[in-house]
Amino acid sequence: MIRVADLHKSYGDVRAVDGVSFAVARGEIFGLLGPNGAGKTTTVEMLEGLRTPDGGELSVLGVDVARRPDAIKPRIGVALQTAALYPKLTVVEVLELFRSFYPLPGPATSELVEALGLTERRDARTEELSGGQRQRLAVALALVNDPELVFLDEPTTGLDPAARRALWDLIARLRDRGRTVLLTTHYMDEAEILCNRIAIMDHGRILQLGTVDELVARQSLQRSVRFDREEALPDAALAELAGVVRISHDETSVILYTTDVPATIGGLLALGAERGAEPRNLLVRRPTLEDVFLELTGRAIRD
Amino acid sequence: MRPLIRLTIANLRSFLRSRLAMFWTLAFPLIFIFLFGFIFQGSQFDVKLGWVDEDGSAASATLEQAFERSGVAKLTEDSRSDALALMRNGKVEAVVVVPHGYGAAVEAGAHVDVTLYTDAAQQQASQSVRQVVGNIVGVVALGGRQPIVAVAEQPVQTNDLNFISYFVPSMLGLSLMQSGLFAAIPLVADREKLILKRLAATPLRRWQLVGSNVLMRLLLALAQAVVIVGVGVAFFGVRVTGNLAVIGGFIVLGSVTFLAIGYLVASFARTEDEANGMVSVLQFPMMFLSGTFFVLDQMPDFMQGIARVIPLTYLSDALRQAMVDGTAISPLWLCGVVLAGWLVVCFGIAARNFRWQ
Repeated sequence: MIRVADLHKSYGDVRAVDGVSFAVARGEIFGLLGPNGAGKTTTVEMLEGLRTPDGGELSVLGVDVARRPDAIKPRIGVALQTAALYPKLTVVEVLELFRSFYPLPGPATSELVEALGLTERRDARTEELSGGQRQRLAVALALVNDPELVFLDEPTTGLDPAARRALWDLIARLRDRGRTVLLTTHYMDEAEILCNRIAIMDHGRILQLGTVDELVARQSLQRSVRFDREEALPDAALAELAGVVRISHDETSVILYTTDVPATIGGLLALGAERGAEPRNLLVRRPTLEDVFLELTGRAIRD
Repeated sequence: MRPLIRLTIANLRSFLRSRLAMFWTLAFPLIFIFLFGFIFQGSQFDVKLGWVDEDGSAASATLEQAFERSGVAKLTEDSRSDALALMRNGKVEAVVVVPHGYGAAVEAGAHVDVTLYTDAAQQQASQSVRQVVGNIVGVVALGGRQPIVAVAEQPVQTNDLNFISYFVPSMLGLSLMQSGLFAAIPLVADREKLILKRLAATPLRRWQLVGSNVLMRLLLALAQAVVIVGVGVAFFGVRVTGNLAVIGGFIVLGSVTFLAIGYLVASFARTEDEANGMVSVLQFPMMFLSGTFFVLDQMPDFMQGIARVIPLTYLSDALRQAMVDGTAISPLWLCGVVLAGWLVVCFGIAARNFRWQ
């Protein structure tokens, strides 16, 4: 559906997109994950035909977008980062307006309104909608032409948890109906829950690309063993345990990073028995996307 | 065509639901018309002229008859100084002097000035006097190249030439200017709200976007013309005498010209606030220097220079000429050429300079 090779785009001295390559297959939800300013939006807008790349190859639905941006427009759906809506028009009016732009209109407006849970607000002006309703309408506008490929740029930014979950359901349903979705986000949980595959972006480059499991495995991150801090179990003794490569602390607990979880736990329990101290609240944690991101970029992702 | 029509309807709906836009486009000029209409209603016929005929020729007698037909009250005096004394004492508002040699000059087809003295302390009265006198003299002087008999048959509609008759076409010009300039604001707002960017991601073409914008503004201009002229006709006895095609042509040309200036503003303004500022900076000088509220030749030279350049001068002039046989500042064709020039230049710069995102 999408094939991108060595894509470049600069604004003055800033290299917004600096050699990005990836491919998206039919029927998957592909995520571009990265902090603000990583180059996600610029990448997506080049795919949508809204910006011209400085260099690289760009094929969307088999069309060279840089040369013929208008050829894909009837076949894609787009929701921009900020819901762009006519403030004085009602939900139905905006949907009908956008529907008229397409030679082959998709589902009936009433169907879309219902599918996106906007039935009660169908005659409200868009300026009167809540943030979640606006985003849902923006997604609805991306679906008026029943597109093969849907671009959603940060669809849940600024929404409360309930509104986010509602939108996630909706996006998952798009995939279930065989549509391809390209999604950008800076939320780890969103990428983890929705996306079949993820590209982690920072400073205009893709750092890693794969399924969540692949990303975690590839990074060969140690799993961790965690328990409540205990006077009788000092770090010096813990460092001697089998498999332990690193020890860290937070307010209440000790975290042992290990290459061999069973050996470390066996050693820990033996040590505890020997010193008369049982490690409490013992738990094993596998690495998350957050750890992968931290490892790759050296910083946590923030809003 | 369907996207263009749907977009035009959407734009019209947005406009009709925006009270501020409605106020500036329709209510504002109407308030002015009612205000000035009630202030100056009938005041024309209270104006008294001092009349001095230094020439005493057949031609000056023809001119005098034209004034008599116009219904303007007139006190005839023998000397200029006596007449001016009348004006200083407030007995007349203005003095017309037909100079020695007027008849001979008209006979020869040469240029000749009829002198009009007005009271500088009475601006508004002076202005209406000026327009009426200018009109009568203009019509008669035009006939000067033909046999005198033909002059009597000139359609001199001086009975209807009250102040409001001049004011209504001027207000129409003014409101067409407002409407065109203010078109910049929703456009910049649409860009700021990323609506233009969102539209660019649909199959909608730019010509459809611009086309619907122009179409919507022309429909509004038509509505403005009907409402403003309608009020003038219904409440203040304005009689529209000109050729409807010419009037309509200038309404369209003027609207599109000011719309192009609005697009020019939109191409330079980055935010809605900036656009608002630029529109104000343009509209107030145009409003006051176009001859709508103050008469051009009373202004200092540099202001007259500006007035001779700005498009509203020519639109209002053309509308006055076309609608109520107003005195020409410039011939109609020149008004058309100047407006078209502004249109082409502004639209050209706007098209090159406009940022869609």
